[in-house]
Amino acid sequence: MISFKDVSLIYPNAERTILEELNFEVFEGELVLVIGHTGAGKSSLIKLINGLVPHHTGGILSGEITVAGRSTRQLKPGQLSDVIGIVGQNPINGFVTDIVEEEIAFGLETMGIAPEVMRKRVEEVLDLLSLAPLRNREIASLSGGEQQRVAIGAALVLNPKVLLLDEPTSALDPIAAEEVLSILHRLVHDLGLTVILAEHRLERVIQFADRIMRIGDRGDVSIGTPGEILAHSPIAPPIVNLSKALKLPEVSLSVREIRRRTESIRNVLQDIPLPQPAADNNGEVLLSLRKVSVAYGDKYALTNISFDIRRGEVVALMGRNGAGKSSLLKSAVGQSPIISGEVLITGRDPKNMDGKALIKHVGYVPQEPGDLLYGESVIDECLLADKDNGVAIGTTLAIYENLMEIPNINAHPRDLSEGQRLGLALSVILSANPDLIILDEPTRGLDYVAKSKLVKILQNLVIDSAQNRSVVIATHDVELVAEVAAKVIFLAEGEIVANGPTRDVLTASPAFAPQVTKVLAPAQWLTVAEVVNALGESAI
Amino acid sequence: MRLVHPLIWWLWALLLATFVIRADNILIAAAVASAVTLVVVKLKSDNYWSKSFALSIRLALLIIVVRMLIAITIGVPMPGQILFRIPSITLPSWMVGIRIGGDVTSQRLTSTFHEVIIIATVILLCGAANSLASPHRMIRSLPKAMYNLGVALSVATSVLPQIVKSIGRIQSAKRLRGQKTRGIRAWRGIALPLLEESLERALDLATAMEARGYGYHGKTTKYRVEPFTFIDLVMIASGVYLVLLSATLLSHFGVVVLALFSLVIVASPIAIVKR
Repeated sequence: MISFKDVSLIYPNAERTILEELNFEVFEGELVLVIGHTGAGKSSLIKLINGLVPHHTGGILSGEITVAGRSTRQLKPGQLSDVIGIVGQNPINGFVTDIVEEEIAFGLETMGIAPEVMRKRVEEVLDLLSLAPLRNREIASLSGGEQQRVAIGAALVLNPKVLLLDEPTSALDPIAAEEVLSILHRLVHDLGLTVILAEHRLERVIQFADRIMRIGDRGDVSIGTPGEILAHSPIAPPIVNLSKALKLPEVSLSVREIRRRTESIRNVLQDIPLPQPAADNNGEVLLSLRKVSVAYGDKYALTNISFDIRRGEVVALMGRNGAGKSSLLKSAVGQSPIISGEVLITGRDPKNMDGKALIKHVGYVPQEPGDLLYGESVIDECLLADKDNGVAIGTTLAIYENLMEIPNINAHPRDLSEGQRLGLALSVILSANPDLIILDEPTRGLDYVAKSKLVKILQNLVIDSAQNRSVVIATHDVELVAEVAAKVIFLAEGEIVANGPTRDVLTASPAFAPQVTKVLAPAQWLTVAEVVNALGESAI
Repeated sequence: MRLVHPLIWWLWALLLATFVIRADNILIAAAVASAVTLVVVKLKSDNYWSKSFALSIRLALLIIVVRMLIAITIGVPMPGQILFRIPSITLPSWMVGIRIGGDVTSQRLTSTFHEVIIIATVILLCGAANSLASPHRMIRSLPKAMYNLGVALSVATSVLPQIVKSIGRIQSAKRLRGQKTRGIRAWRGIALPLLEESLERALDLATAMEARGYGYHGKTTKYRVEPFTFIDLVMIASGVYLVLLSATLLSHFGVVVLALFSLVIVASPIAIVKR
């Protein structure tokens, strides 16, 4: 269906080739997963297939790409729209109309399909993606998962043979992601659609993939079955790491598979006592919410929320998109419209603090860490932060160096990788030396390697600092929560539905359980490290 | 009851603007402005375009205030009853006829007020058209020959509401760094990321349109055909009627009656149009 012959891609002024000497074929009805570090060229590869690279973005391409027998060299992406559908990372940016039904019909309108045929096709797609109840809704009012489904529907309506998806679930909560992926799975099986999917959160998709294409750091590409590729890849979901840690003969990809192979180990683990939860924290209360309600207009985002964050705690805030996580975090820095109740930061209302005073107490890294940065280069940014926060020159840079291996200090912050940018934003925040650090969706753009670095950084922030800081993270990433958080607060529709130790909260709901828990249930293990520790004492 | 074609809303608003300018009367302008506000409140949809009316009200008020301030301080002297006097600057002899400060006459204020109310009403009408007719729907009714214009317009209009959101986000981020969010320096810090983000969005949309074959195929068709109907005709006719007959009506019935009359005519879509 898709064939690449000696394909190389380089962008003008780039220091390295993005992709080098690619040779592969994808057959009809295959689901191929593209993995690689952030910035390795996953998006470029996806866009190469339908010609958006180089027709739309520039770049120098050599070699030959054919899709369904048509070469993309001469054809523009628009001319391939009947063969290839593409769904981007942020579907909301790509919507042309305001209403679900019209959005799906848009592709047909541009192709001049007769109205009667069009009606039928739109109807089919609405049914296929279970969008019929939403047909007259405004797209902007839909949830993330629903929007992603609309985008897939809009691409499918032209009956393409190939569907390309660039990180379709990265902005979605686990349930919405499941919804999108199961639909993809069905499309592949029912319609024989060929799907190419770029993704960095593998735990969700790995079981659906027929083959994996891994893009290495030098633009080299290896392709093979998931088992082959993941056995040697540093990028791997917990389930693969678990099978490696348990020294299973083969890498397992689905919970069902690995459970069948680990019956005896599970029996052993059942009898090993779980790590003791930390003793009750009686530290000073850093953040306290008392019966807080937040409303935008007449719409309540939070109702009657009360909890305390004490010194030395890492607390995860979870819940579906729109459950009120961001509103809650923002209330801690006085940026939510609170209509009743009170928020106190070490006893004071953040609304009454000016910016300078606030950052001494709370450091807040927003969803886009880049929002915090406005310097022209890394070094410039660090010096500005020193000045803003009134600390000795060089403090911020030292913190940054301490956090991670820093990039070229003359690089522009926007040119950094997601992980590096997050690190820089975090250093800027830390140089004001706040007691409480708040992170909103920190792992959204991070691959596994960057994520494990973040986990270490966060642990160090809390454990190693004499100051005994606290960290609050809002995230969809259950694996991150399992690794770092001691406590989880679970929100639904603006109310707290669970608030307790991580182990209790995460193991209670199958949708939000980490992979290791799913594998080893009913024993409540959370992470691979825990299991390895436990088994270390009794030999495997 | 049915939807009105987006083009009709624009045409209607333009005709009303012409009428207001031609009638050149504060009372009539006020009547049209209040009727249009009523129509928008009753008929606007819930999408983000509808917010542009609130924005245009603010803009209109701002223009009124600024224009009145200028009228008080600068301008050609106008004879009439002196209301009050502010300190004046003596200008060189070649700038004769211009004053800064000095006497403020009632004539000066009324004529300026008159003029600025008309301008404000026209701005309100544009805002109303924008919030009643989604630019997205309008662009899709453009003929194929205007393909490039269509892409450019879609991209431009879809970026606007997003920019408003981004400004809020970036401003709150500035506070998180302990900085003031007002002042020119702060704006420089906001402008760059904003520009970058908007460009990225625009590029995303252009890519999406391209990938879905926009502009590559000869004939396009309509999923929802939006024929011109009787209601469209009534709306346009009422606008044309007001424009053409404004002078006659004015001399015949006097200002008050015409103002009431136009209030009713302009507000009539509330009764016949579906939101």
